[in-house]
Amino acid sequence: MFIKKKKYDTAQIVIAIIMGFWALLILYPFYSAFLASISTQKEFSQNPLMLFPKEVTFAAYQYLLQATNLLVGYKNTLFMLVFGVPFNMIITVATGYAMSRPAYPGKKLFVFLILFTMYFSGGMVPLYLLMKNLHLTNKLIGIVFLYGGNTFYAILIRNFFQSLPREMEESARIDGASEIKLFFRILLPLTVPIMVTVLLFFAVDRWNEWFNTMLMVRDSAKWTLQVILRNIVFTTLDDMASRVVSVEKTYYSLSLKMAAIVLTMAPVMIFYPFTQRFFMKGILVGSVKG
Amino acid sequence: MLHIKALSSLGKKNQESLFKRIGKNSYVYLFIAISLSWYLLFCYGPMYGLILAFKDFNASKGILFSPFVGLKHYRDLFQNTEFFAAFRNTVIISFGRIIFEFPAPIIIALLLNELREGKYKKTLQTVFTFPYFLSWVVVGSIVLNLLGSDGVVNSLITLSGIEKQQFLANKDLFRPLLYITSIWKSAGWTSIIYLASISGVSPELYEAATIDGANRIQRVWHVTLPCIRPTIVVLLLLAVGNTMNAGFDQIFNMYNASVRSVSDILDTYIYRITFQVSGDFGFSTAVGLFKSIINFVLLYLFDRMAKMLGEDGLF
Repeated sequence: MFIKKKKYDTAQIVIAIIMGFWALLILYPFYSAFLASISTQKEFSQNPLMLFPKEVTFAAYQYLLQATNLLVGYKNTLFMLVFGVPFNMIITVATGYAMSRPAYPGKKLFVFLILFTMYFSGGMVPLYLLMKNLHLTNKLIGIVFLYGGNTFYAILIRNFFQSLPREMEESARIDGASEIKLFFRILLPLTVPIMVTVLLFFAVDRWNEWFNTMLMVRDSAKWTLQVILRNIVFTTLDDMASRVVSVEKTYYSLSLKMAAIVLTMAPVMIFYPFTQRFFMKGILVGSVKG
Repeated sequence: MLHIKALSSLGKKNQESLFKRIGKNSYVYLFIAISLSWYLLFCYGPMYGLILAFKDFNASKGILFSPFVGLKHYRDLFQNTEFFAAFRNTVIISFGRIIFEFPAPIIIALLLNELREGKYKKTLQTVFTFPYFLSWVVVGSIVLNLLGSDGVVNSLITLSGIEKQQFLANKDLFRPLLYITSIWKSAGWTSIIYLASISGVSPELYEAATIDGANRIQRVWHVTLPCIRPTIVVLLLLAVGNTMNAGFDQIFNMYNASVRSVSDILDTYIYRITFQVSGDFGFSTAVGLFKSIINFVLLYLFDRMAKMLGEDGLF
């Protein structure tokens, strides 16, 4: 502040070490899962803390791709992303924009109807029955429809629209632009940063979707990646608790499970460092002007 | 003169007919139509289904024509020990989270704030925030790799000649494990909110404190913490408001039958009795409505409180 310090002081070094240790604690479980996925069962069980296996095997990956429906899961998750995210954006942007407009007849009721859903919901069972009545169960497109608007993100978008200077709109209006044109040509381009942020959040949400698919889609050919992962990892959970499975067999299944985890989280892991700043913008805009 | 003109135009505006005002804003209603078509169907549709809480659901008759049974489900509910256990667990786990999980991101933010900007700090933040973006299916599976009966820790234990431990089936360990894994996954992400709040603290305050001879810890205690108190209070109130949601995704992906008595929360209970055990939709809707109402009251109350403290609250 007053004098430019060149070196770290002792306290900073200690803190840097503590934080570094915490980072290792976060990273190690991922690394361990990766190791388990490429090791032979014998080597991993004898030396689980190894840095790298002497004998590398991709048998688990091979098995996963050939004998399970993991690839189908990729396809279905891609379907969720391609159709789900645009649908999320349309409903959420429309909601945020309508909430941001200056007073119009019915605005109070509209805003109330939207915000009320943050406080109160029908819950799991009525939603399931509704989906059944609409004949949307056992269809992936049903899950796409189920996740439409997100009120938190709509509020984020509303705040952003409201922060734009009014004069710009006024001058465009004087130039004779229609309201729809105004929205698409002038307002929307200005909101690109916040739109990218919301879009990325939706993409992660759809990538991670598992519960409603598990609940409402019975046909395993329509399962998303997460549901298939759940199925691979947890089907033998009860066996594990009762320890009936032989050591050899469970070890093989352990590396299989870990390979499934690696394949499920790899895309998130690869994309996250490049998109991190957009996510952070979301939480900052949301919390400062929440 | 100008004044009068402005006033008269203001008066005119108010006298505009409703039709005219709707017409002028017609484009907004297009957006509202898009928005409400989804919200009415998928948010308010299930709310209509809540009347099942007072009916005996019969699939062939549907929601509307199933017979009313009044408060029968609630009489059953309040005599159901499993329900009370789930209710109790929900409250205990939520408060456990507030006690153990809530301070973690504050501590991380305070520590990170002491580090100078640079590559190291950036990398740390990337690592800390990353697990937040994984699903609990993935994180639950990773926990299994570490602590399962054939996991890393058990391999180590076996190698040193001790009997295998069932960590995930241990009732005393399960709740602490929930808190620890949740901190592991989410604390880094939440710390970003606190870091933003800390970056808003005026540097002059720190300078003044330094001139007064305050050391590092005193600066944190007397400057940083008081300055970010509003953020802490709001997040705390929201956490209390969310007491009824004790973390379904996490618990559902980590629990098993052996630890059910300490980890069964209202959401897992509703799921189980609906889709795994009885399938009495009327009864489980009654449990869901009970939860929703308490949830509504708590959220509303604590959000109001946050607003009364001069903060923006949830919105």
